[in-house]
Amino acid sequence: MRIPFRRRDRDKEINEEIQGHLTLAAREEMDAGKNRLGAEGAARRELGNEGRVRELTRDMWGWRWLENLLQDVRYGLRLLGKNPGFTAVAILTLALGIGANTAIFSLIDTVMLKMLPVQKPEELMVVGMRSPESGDNEFNNYFTNPIWEQVRDQQDIFSGIFTWGTARFDLAQGGESHNVDGLYVSGDYFNTLGVRTVAGRLFSNSDDKRGCSGSVVLSYGFWQEHFGGTQSAIGSMLNLSSHPLQVIGVAAPGFFGVDVGEKFDVAIPLCTEAIVRGKGSMLDQRSAWWLRIVGRMKPGITPQQTSAHLQVMSPQVFAPVVPQNWKPEMQKDFLRTILDSTSAGKGFSAVRHSYDQALRMLMAVVGLVLLIACANIASLMLARAATRQKEISIRLAIGASRFRLIRQLLTECVLLSFAGAVLGVLFARWGSALLVRFISTARSPVFLQFSLDARMLGFTAAVAVLTGLLFGLLPAIRATRVSLASAMKGGQQDESQGRAHIRPGRWIVAGQVALSLVLVIVAGLFLRSFNNLLTLDAGFDRSNVLMVFANAHNANASPEQRVTLWKQAIQGLQSLPGVISVSESVITPISGAGWNDAFSLQSGGGPTGRDALANINSVSPDYFGTLRSPIRAGRNFDSRDAAGAPLVGIVNETMAHRFFGNADPLGQYLRIEDMPGTTTPPIQVIGVVKDAKYRTLRETTPPTIYFPIAQLTDPHLQRMTEAPAFEIRTASQPAAVARAAEEVFTSLNKSVSMTFRTLEEQVDDSLRQDQLLATLSGFFGGLALLLAMIGLYGVLAYMVTQRRKEIGIRMALGAGKGAILRLIMRDVSILLVAGVAAGVGISMWTTQFMQKMLFELNARDAKTILLAVAVLTGVALIAGYLPARRAAGLDPNAILRDE
Amino acid sequence: MTPPRERYRDQLEILQGTLDMLILQTLQWGPRHGYALSKAIRTQSGEILRVDTGSLYPALHRLERKGWVAAEWKSSEVGPRLRVYHLTRAGKKQLLSERSRWARLTEAVAGILNPQKKESES
Repeated sequence: MRIPFRRRDRDKEINEEIQGHLTLAAREEMDAGKNRLGAEGAARRELGNEGRVRELTRDMWGWRWLENLLQDVRYGLRLLGKNPGFTAVAILTLALGIGANTAIFSLIDTVMLKMLPVQKPEELMVVGMRSPESGDNEFNNYFTNPIWEQVRDQQDIFSGIFTWGTARFDLAQGGESHNVDGLYVSGDYFNTLGVRTVAGRLFSNSDDKRGCSGSVVLSYGFWQEHFGGTQSAIGSMLNLSSHPLQVIGVAAPGFFGVDVGEKFDVAIPLCTEAIVRGKGSMLDQRSAWWLRIVGRMKPGITPQQTSAHLQVMSPQVFAPVVPQNWKPEMQKDFLRTILDSTSAGKGFSAVRHSYDQALRMLMAVVGLVLLIACANIASLMLARAATRQKEISIRLAIGASRFRLIRQLLTECVLLSFAGAVLGVLFARWGSALLVRFISTARSPVFLQFSLDARMLGFTAAVAVLTGLLFGLLPAIRATRVSLASAMKGGQQDESQGRAHIRPGRWIVAGQVALSLVLVIVAGLFLRSFNNLLTLDAGFDRSNVLMVFANAHNANASPEQRVTLWKQAIQGLQSLPGVISVSESVITPISGAGWNDAFSLQSGGGPTGRDALANINSVSPDYFGTLRSPIRAGRNFDSRDAAGAPLVGIVNETMAHRFFGNADPLGQYLRIEDMPGTTTPPIQVIGVVKDAKYRTLRETTPPTIYFPIAQLTDPHLQRMTEAPAFEIRTASQPAAVARAAEEVFTSLNKSVSMTFRTLEEQVDDSLRQDQLLATLSGFFGGLALLLAMIGLYGVLAYMVTQRRKEIGIRMALGAGKGAILRLIMRDVSILLVAGVAAGVGISMWTTQFMQKMLFELNARDAKTILLAVAVLTGVALIAGYLPARRAAGLDPNAILRDE
Repeated sequence: MTPPRERYRDQLEILQGTLDMLILQTLQWGPRHGYALSKAIRTQSGEILRVDTGSLYPALHRLERKGWVAAEWKSSEVGPRLRVYHLTRAGKKQLLSERSRWARLTEAVAGILNPQKKESES
C-alpha cells in the first residue's frame, strides 16, 4: 500500500509546482499590463496541455509500468467478462489443475518438508545406533529403557534430552474400548522441546522417578474435546486403562508431539509405565525396543561433534545393559554397537515413510494434469487470438509496441490463472482433508494440520504465474505476429495463413494426447495392480468375519482362569443368532503384526539362516474352518491337543515344502531353535493347511506354523492369552453382531475391554496406499482424457470454421460428404498417431519408476498399454467425429454466398 | 501515425542532452525554481531559446531522480510555495562532462559546416 500513497503525494507536489509556475507567469503578464483574466490565459497557453505536462513529469519517476499494469488488468478483466463461457471453463480447468497440485503439495510439505512446530527445531537430534561397519541406512532409533537410562545419565553433549514411547490407553473400564493416543515421556520431554502450557503445569524431572504415582498432561485438543476446556480438569482424575491418574496440565495448542501424522491425547511420565503395564512392564527389560531418544544440541555444538561424542561414549552405555537372554554372538554384536545421531528437526513420520513414493507419484500425476490443462487453455487462447486479429492489427498499426501487446495478453492469462488459483486453494483445502481421511484408518489414524501459510500461498502463486505464462506466451506471440497489410484489408485471411495459424494448436493437441495417454496408462497400471490385490487368493475368506480383540489385563484373572473365561466366551458367541462359527487366535491375518522364530528339523538339517524363520500363530481348532482355510493333508487340532499333551503343529504348504521338500511332512518333528543352555521340546507336524498371507497381502506367502492355543503355556508367551482375538463368522452383516458379542464378554467379566473390526476392514486398510493410487490416478487419468478431448474438439471445430471456404469450394466442385469427413478425420488421425506414439514412448521410459508400487504386474504391461491406447483412440475419434460431421453437413451454397 | 503522447517524448529526446546541460549550467549561478529557470535561459540566450514548459518539468524531475539536482520547497511572497532546485556535487561533475562533450560536438559540427573557414581561421 505504500507505493500508491507516495505516488499520490508526488502527484500533489507536481500539481503544486506547476500551479506555482502558472501563478508566476500570470503575474509577469499582469506586470506587463494585461488584465488578470488575459494574463492567466496567456500563462496557461504558454504552458500548453497542463495535464500532459503533469503526466510526463510524473512518468519521470517510473510509475508508468504500474499504471500500464493496472490498465492491462482493467482491460483484461473487461475482456474476460465479455466471454463468460470461455472464462468460466478456463478458470474451472485451472482451478482443478492448480487445486490438485496445491493439495498434493500441501500434503508433501506437511509430511516431508516442514520443521516441527517447537522451539528451534533445527537444534534437535535423534539418537540412533548402528553396527560399526554399516552405513547410515542401518540407523535404528528404537531403544530399551535400560539403554535410555544409561544415555541420559552419561551424556553431556545435549542441553536437554528426552525419550518417549507411544501407547494406546482405554478410557472405558470394561466393555467396548474407548482408546486414546498416549505417550510415555521422560521428565524433560516438554522442557527440551520448549512446549508451553495453557493450564496447570507440564512435567519436570521430579515427575519421572521410578516408583512414581503417575500424572497426566493433556493435549489441547483432548482437553477441549473431553473436558470442554475447563480449568476444573486440572487436578481431576483420568482413568487410563483402568488406572486413575491425576491431570496436572495442558500443553499448548498446535503441539502434536514429534511424530508427524500422529497426535497424542494424553502424555504420562515414563515411570508410570510400571503402573499401567504392571507385571508386563518393560522398564527393566533389556530386549524391549520401544523408546526413541531426542536431544537438543548445546549452542555452538555441531551435529558432527554430537555424533562423535555419542560414538565415544557407546561402550560405557551398552556394557551394563546387555540382553542376558541373547545368544553369545549376538551379545558380542550388541557390545560393538555405536551410538549415532541425525537431525530430528522435521520430526518422525510413519506416513512420510509409507507414503513417500505414493506422494511423489501423485505430485508427478497432478503436475501432468496441470500441464494438460495449460495446453487446453493455450489452444483455446490461440483460437480466440485469431478472432481478435483485427483488434490486434489496429492496435499495432496505430503504434502500440508488440512487447506492450504481448504483455497485455499475458496479463489476461495471469489474471485467469490467479482466479483459477484462488478457487484452486479452496479445492485444495477440501482435497487435502479428503486425502488425509483416505490414508487414515481406524487403527492408525493420520492427523495432520494444514496451515495456509506463506509457503503454501507462495507455491500456489508461483504455480499460477508459471501456468499463466505457460499457456499464454505462445498464443500471445503468435497473435501479435500478424501481417498488417492483410489484416487491415479486413475480412478473412487467405487459406494458407489460416492453416499456418492453427499449426501450433495442432501440436499442442498432439502433446495433450501424448500426456493424457501417459496418465491413462499410469491409471491403468495402478487399477490393475489394485485389482490384482483385491482378487488375490489370500488363503482365507475375508467376508462376513467379525473380529473381537479382547483384553483381560484389568480382569485380575490367572492364566488358568483366563483359559476358562475365553472358553466360556467362545461358547457364548457361538450361541448368538446369525453366528456360524467362532475361533480364537493370537494373531489375525493382515494385521501387520507378527510373531516368528527359527525352526529346525529334529532329525537335524533343514533350512538355515533366514530361511529357517517361520511365522507362528496359536489358534483354536475352529480357526481354519472360520476363516475357510482348508486343511490339505492330515488332521485339524482337536481336544487331544490340550495343555500338557505332546506338542503338535500344522504347517502351511510353503513351510511343508521348504522344510520337507517332497517328503511327507505328516508325523515328522520340528523344533524351535534352542536358546543357549536350554533344549526345546519337539513339535509333531499333524497337518498341512492351505497357504495364506500373514502380515500383508503383498508379501510372498511366508512359511507359517500354527500351534493349538491350548498348548500356549510357556510362561514367557502366556501373556499373549491375556489379549487374544476372536474370529466370528456370521451369516450376514458381521458388524451387526458386535453389540451382542460385547454383552457376552461383559456378562462374563465386566473388566474385559474389547475392540471390534471386521476382517474385511482390516484387509482393506492394508491396501489404503494401493487404493489411493488407483483411485486418484484413475480420477486424474479420466480428467486428463476429458481435457485432452475438449482440446481436440475445440481445435478441430475451430479448424472447420477456418476452412469453411475451402470446404465449400471442394463441395461445389463435387466432393461428397464422405470425402469431407475423410479430409477432417485424416487430420485427426495424424494428430492421434503422433500423440499416441509419443505417449507410449514416454510411458515406456517413465513407468519403470513405479514398478515397486505395482503388485504382480509389469510396469510395461502390454495389455494395459494396449487397453489405454484403445480407450484413448476411441474417445479421440468421437471427439474428432463431431466437428468432422459438422463440416460434412455444411451447405456449399450458403458458404459461397457468404464470401 | 504516432499517438500524441509519444510525440512529446520524441521531442524531449531531441532536446534532452542540451536542455539538461542548460538547466545544470543555469543552476550553477544559484538555486532557482522552474519558472525562473526558464526565464533565465530565455534571457541569457537573448530571447532565442524558449524552453518548452512541457519539457522543462519532466527534465527537472529526471535530473532530480538521477541525483544531479536537488529540490526543496520555499515559501514565496506571491502565494503558493515554490519548488527551488539547486545543483548537487554529482550535478556539477555532470555539467563539466556535458560541457566538454558539447564543445567537441560543436567543433565537429562547425568543421563539417565550414571547412575552408576553419582552415583560414586556424
